Amino acid sequence: MAVEAQIAAISPDETLETCARQIIVSYFHQMMSYKDGAKDGCDIAFVHDMRVTSRRLRAAMDNFADCFPQKAFRKQYKKVKAITRTMGAVRDLDVLIDRFQKSLDTLSEAEQLDIRELILHLQREREEARKPMLALFTKLEETGFETKFLEFFVGRSN
Amino acid sequence: MAKAHKISGVKPLGSYRENARIILPQKIEEVYTWEPFIRDAARREELHNMRISIKRLRYTMELFRVVYELPKVCSKDAVATDDKRFAEFLAVIVDLQSILGDIHDCDVVLQVLTDYTCQSASDAVVLDILSATGKDGIDRLIAQTRETRKAGYQKFLEKWEQLSAANFKRKLLSFLVT
Repeated sequence: MAVEAQIAAISPDETLETCARQIIVSYFHQMMSYKDGAKDGCDIAFVHDMRVTSRRLRAAMDNFADCFPQKAFRKQYKKVKAITRTMGAVRDLDVLIDRFQKSLDTLSEAEQLDIRELILHLQREREEARKPMLALFTKLEETGFETKFLEFFVGRSN
Repeated sequence: MAKAHKISGVKPLGSYRENARIILPQKIEEVYTWEPFIRDAARREELHNMRISIKRLRYTMELFRVVYELPKVCSKDAVATDDKRFAEFLAVIVDLQSILGDIHDCDVVLQVLTDYTCQSASDAVVLDILSATGKDGIDRLIAQTRETRKAGYQKFLEKWEQLSAANFKRKLLSFLVT
């Protein structure tokens, strides 16, 4: 499943700085739109979509870093990186569980028992992996990350 | 995972179009820094790093798609051709990312299966129930995954050699900076 990039229309003749702000803000909104679903945890697609969008956001931030004051930029970048990282641990386990569940059809009943045990083991690990992710979300909410990020990147208009 | 290479020469007050031609070649070069390692199937880390660099190139190409979609000349045919060529180049990048992704998935699965086997065996020894642990399913999956990984790596190498023979890098650079 591919997460489509949702960037508002930009003009290639605008300055990079103007476009960079527009793109970063756009990706940020898209990323945060998956947060509630990721917190809920029932549908694994939300974690996947939020993680992919956080990667797209980071790619944009890497490319456009020189458009912003470095110290404040690095602070915001580190937080996005932490989002990618904590979600990665959960997503990796989602992928493994899904893959092993699909493999069951190719195995004998006796072999399936081993894999079912492994799946249970990974599901327990997934519950553990969700804890740092949820803790990070709580911390970001408590510290006003969303508002501060947007204040920084919407910033001054050109 | 290797960090993204620092992008240099960016002009914040230059146009988005101008900066596409500064940034994209650097992203292409980052991908090719991993090329010396790819002919060794055991270089898992470097293959993984190449996948990540390809992903960064893909995302950056998608960011700058608008530069290659809008008319550089007034002819409608020329615009359509540019759109098509951009889509073709991007499709190659997405394909490479996907093949390398499959290889990486296999590497992760193999690691998890072997770790789990060792852990299970160790637990079983402690609990004195080794015969009840049963590893047939795990062994079978390890064998299947090794085969899939081998086939995926072969597919990647063939694709890479085809692209090299067709001067893909030179053509991509030329298209993106011209």
